[in-house]
Amino acid sequence: MSSLEVKLLSEHYDKPEFQGLEGYKKHGGYEVLVKALKMEPQKIIDEVKASGLRGRGGAGFPTGVKWGFLPNNDEPRYLLCNADEGEPGTFKDRVMMERAPHQLIEGMIISAFAVKSHKSYIYIRGEYDEPARILRKALDEAYEAGLLGKNILGSGFDHDMDLYRGAGAYICGEETGMISSLEGLKGQPKLKPPFPAIQGYLKKPTIVNNVETLAAVKYIIRDGADAYRKYGTEKSAGTKLFSISGNVVKPGTYEVPLGISLKDLIFDVCGGLKPGRKLKAVIPGGSSAPILTAEESLKVNMDYESLAQSGSMLGSGAVIVIDDSNDMVDLLDVTLHFYHHESCGQCTPCREGTGWISKITHSIKNGEGTTKDIDLIKNVAEHMMGKTICALSDAAAMPAISFVTKFRDEFEAYVNKGVERRGEDAHA
Amino acid sequence: MPKCTINGKEIEVPQGTTVIEAFKMLGDDICHYCWHPGLSVAGVCRLCMVHIEGMPKLQIACNTEVRDGMVVTNQTDDVKDTVKWGLDFHLINHPLDCPICDQAGECGLQDQYMKFGKYDPEMAEPKVKKHKVVDLGPTVVLDSERCILCSRCVRFTEEVTETNELGIFNRGDRAEIGTVQGRPLDNNYSLNTVDICPVGALTSKDFRFRQRVWYLKDSESICPGCSTGCNVKVYFNEEGLWRVKPRYNAEVNGHWMCDEGRNTYKYVNAAHRLKKVKAGQSGDWSQEEVFPETMKLGEKFRAAAEKNPESIAVLVTGQYTNEEFKNFFEFVADELKVKNIFHWINNPEKFDDFDGLLLRGDKNPNTYGLKEEMKSRGGFKSLEDLQGKMSQFEWVLVLGPENQSQFPDLKEKVDLLSQAKSVIWLSACETPELDALRAPTHQIPMKTYIEKEGSFTNFKGLVQEFKRGTTVIEDALTLQEVVALLRGHELDYRNRPQPIGGTKKNHFTNVRGQL
Amino acid sequence: MSKAFELSKEGAELVKKELTRYETKHSAIIPALYQVQKENGWVPPESIEYLAGLMGLPESHINEVFSFYTMFNKVPTGKLHVQVCTNISCSMNGGRELAKKLCERFNVKPGEVSKDGLVTISQVECLGSCDTAPMMQVNDRYIENLDFEKAVQALKEMGAQ
Repeated sequence: MSSLEVKLLSEHYDKPEFQGLEGYKKHGGYEVLVKALKMEPQKIIDEVKASGLRGRGGAGFPTGVKWGFLPNNDEPRYLLCNADEGEPGTFKDRVMMERAPHQLIEGMIISAFAVKSHKSYIYIRGEYDEPARILRKALDEAYEAGLLGKNILGSGFDHDMDLYRGAGAYICGEETGMISSLEGLKGQPKLKPPFPAIQGYLKKPTIVNNVETLAAVKYIIRDGADAYRKYGTEKSAGTKLFSISGNVVKPGTYEVPLGISLKDLIFDVCGGLKPGRKLKAVIPGGSSAPILTAEESLKVNMDYESLAQSGSMLGSGAVIVIDDSNDMVDLLDVTLHFYHHESCGQCTPCREGTGWISKITHSIKNGEGTTKDIDLIKNVAEHMMGKTICALSDAAAMPAISFVTKFRDEFEAYVNKGVERRGEDAHA
Repeated sequence: MPKCTINGKEIEVPQGTTVIEAFKMLGDDICHYCWHPGLSVAGVCRLCMVHIEGMPKLQIACNTEVRDGMVVTNQTDDVKDTVKWGLDFHLINHPLDCPICDQAGECGLQDQYMKFGKYDPEMAEPKVKKHKVVDLGPTVVLDSERCILCSRCVRFTEEVTETNELGIFNRGDRAEIGTVQGRPLDNNYSLNTVDICPVGALTSKDFRFRQRVWYLKDSESICPGCSTGCNVKVYFNEEGLWRVKPRYNAEVNGHWMCDEGRNTYKYVNAAHRLKKVKAGQSGDWSQEEVFPETMKLGEKFRAAAEKNPESIAVLVTGQYTNEEFKNFFEFVADELKVKNIFHWINNPEKFDDFDGLLLRGDKNPNTYGLKEEMKSRGGFKSLEDLQGKMSQFEWVLVLGPENQSQFPDLKEKVDLLSQAKSVIWLSACETPELDALRAPTHQIPMKTYIEKEGSFTNFKGLVQEFKRGTTVIEDALTLQEVVALLRGHELDYRNRPQPIGGTKKNHFTNVRGQL
Repeated sequence: MSKAFELSKEGAELVKKELTRYETKHSAIIPALYQVQKENGWVPPESIEYLAGLMGLPESHINEVFSFYTMFNKVPTGKLHVQVCTNISCSMNGGRELAKKLCERFNVKPGEVSKDGLVTISQVECLGSCDTAPMMQVNDRYIENLDFEKAVQALKEMGAQ
């Protein structure tokens, strides 16, 4: 283990017993819930606000502030856990749900108590069959132990929690897409306003938080906001679970403080690149995040601000490390194929644009592209940004723009090769 | 009431008004496909983009409520560029088959392209292939490749008819509208989906391939199909009528009309019409000139009435204008003192039906007006009284229905009247049932709603005026003209209204062959 | 006419229970479609009409959901539905080559059912197991850290020929 790693959320992930209620309790499980149920709900919200915790799903919105948007009345409200982990490169939530399902459940009950919600759902992506089974079992255990249901631990607080399985759609990771899906509709994002905190699931006030965010709440309440803030930076507080994949020696899920340098993350925590390979690029926040060149990667820190400053984003913390054996045209082709496949089809710029740039990229890869096509990818992508209901359009546009801008020579090489080949064909 | 500024113009709007509605109130141009004032907001075409002062990103006008002091414009370069590209995104997979598309001439894509087109097609990749010529049911045909997935039609079947036949299946650029497993879109409002389709994806089986819309003229009118009195637009050329579409009236029909009402243009066309006076009985009829024959008839009719008003019976349907009724009853009831006035309704069992949306069982546009007119004259006699007494009348005058197909007891009435001594039947159309009348009869050709002006009073007492659109049968008479001729007044038939043609002569239809 | 579809008695009971489990009946559509797939291997078009009747929901709504989500099989699959991830991290580690070789090895085109009815191989998007690339999902199970030999071995153990 690298000395740069911290074990806050992930302290017991290596212990198989941590999966079951008994083992979880042995390591202090549900003790924070006991503490939280004795607190004023507002105090919990204040603590979360003070901790600086930001949404770990991708957008990085301050969690306590989000909770504060709920109307101050007795209207029923819902807490939804976003476990539709779908951003390519991301797998940290799956790891947590498999190894520490009760950690999520405990975090959720505390959060639900804070926002005065009596019903919550964990919306898990359909492909996560194993994690769903583990969570289902954990929920049964929690009900059995009186940790869910009526009058939890004699506190007078009632809360029901259920698990809902998606069925294969990246867009359901967008919070309003997820709400649509949970409502039994196509997982299409909803118009905002109204925002979910005002009108969400079934038009009731709704809070949607990521798995890791909700689990982190437990540790913030356990240790206090100040202790949590000891990790990370001023504006990016706490620890973060990074999913690291691609060409590193030790890919995996690692918990490190926010603000760690990407260089350390790759070369220290993940054991660096395979022998003889050179770093070519890094996608630092899931495949929708603008790509960083090797040079940019070695200068950036893994926190919301540094990455934004470098023109990319932290996203879900999915780091895809790319060495010099990769072909960037090919990787963009793979990436855009995905967003084309996953566009829900509601908004025209995204529905049509994702297909368009994917097809152009594919043509270039097949040697059928022109120099004009390289510019066209960028031009189309720029007109897809910020024009749609949700951010999927941007998610496709950002890699497109950054790949063709930063690795233009590789795109040109394909174009030139195609021109040559066609010339030879013409003469043959 | 919030006040805002739109493109430099100040406007005060009711609370809750959206920016796009404010644009409409001002009459300012704003591009949109998915927004429709009669449906929920979908916000998916992304074309009604506006710049709002103080907001970093462009907003869609359809989902933005006007707030006091808001300063909005769609005249910035950013908005214009966004709309231009937004339109291009709509067009890259569109087949651009305007020359064979029925929507051409009234297509949202064509209209916007002329205003905002990119004029530089950059899409060189293969287009997405989708289903074409999909038979959606008895009235509508779908071309999925033309569809821009605005979801208006789906929202219509979900929100207005609540029949849910349509859905958008699949996702991304593979998404297509359709019905499940080829089940038909079959409700009495299905053709509204064609009206609200901003492109040529949904076309009317009845209208498609029959006329180019730019050869048609239109006229605002009132649907005579039932007592609701939907406000409509009727489209015609010198050959006759081709289609009927709804016209917005918040108090009556909103944005919609029923499919049954759309059929009311058909009987108006010359093929179905009485062109001369038909005199005779039981299938043995002669054609007589309208004016002299009706005047001749008037002499006898008046003479009989003057001798004994009780020898005259009048059967009235609620199918004529208020002005016609007034004029008619002044003559028959007030002058001739006829008391035997009977109200013939289409179908007593279903007369009070209502489908919950627009269509009523009373298939007459002016039952209300008719009853009003008769109120001061003591009302109608019961139709039952006629049974077995027919032979005691010298003359029975029938103000027959324009749209006879809506009167299921037509044959029954013909049988009843066959016992009379002589019958004058005012009718717009020719039917075999009428020709079977066994009493000596004069069928007098009448004008239809589109050929005259006046007003109908709908079921709730709303008086709706309408203008003449065109003339199909020149010799056909209005009820006022019938009254004048029966009174013995000469009519100036050299100045009678002539047919109104389309804007240009449609040579294609003139040389159309028979299949 | 397509032939009528029916769930088992237990399956229909389960769907009815799901109808009251959530705040809205519509939420039971995904679980109901899963039940159809569990019993039938895929979701045949005629099951949509059946579910509409069973659940009292419009066919169009059920079909919208069915066609939107990728996990509902639109055509029959082999007994082993092999889904090889070919998204970015897996592609970087040979996911596409693996899918291609598996197709050759089992003599099927992507998405097709092998002649013995045992295997369907398709390429899918990210399954959230990028640190173990390349990987595949066989029915409900994730099989990770693959190379061609390991993948074939795993499939053989699961009954492929």
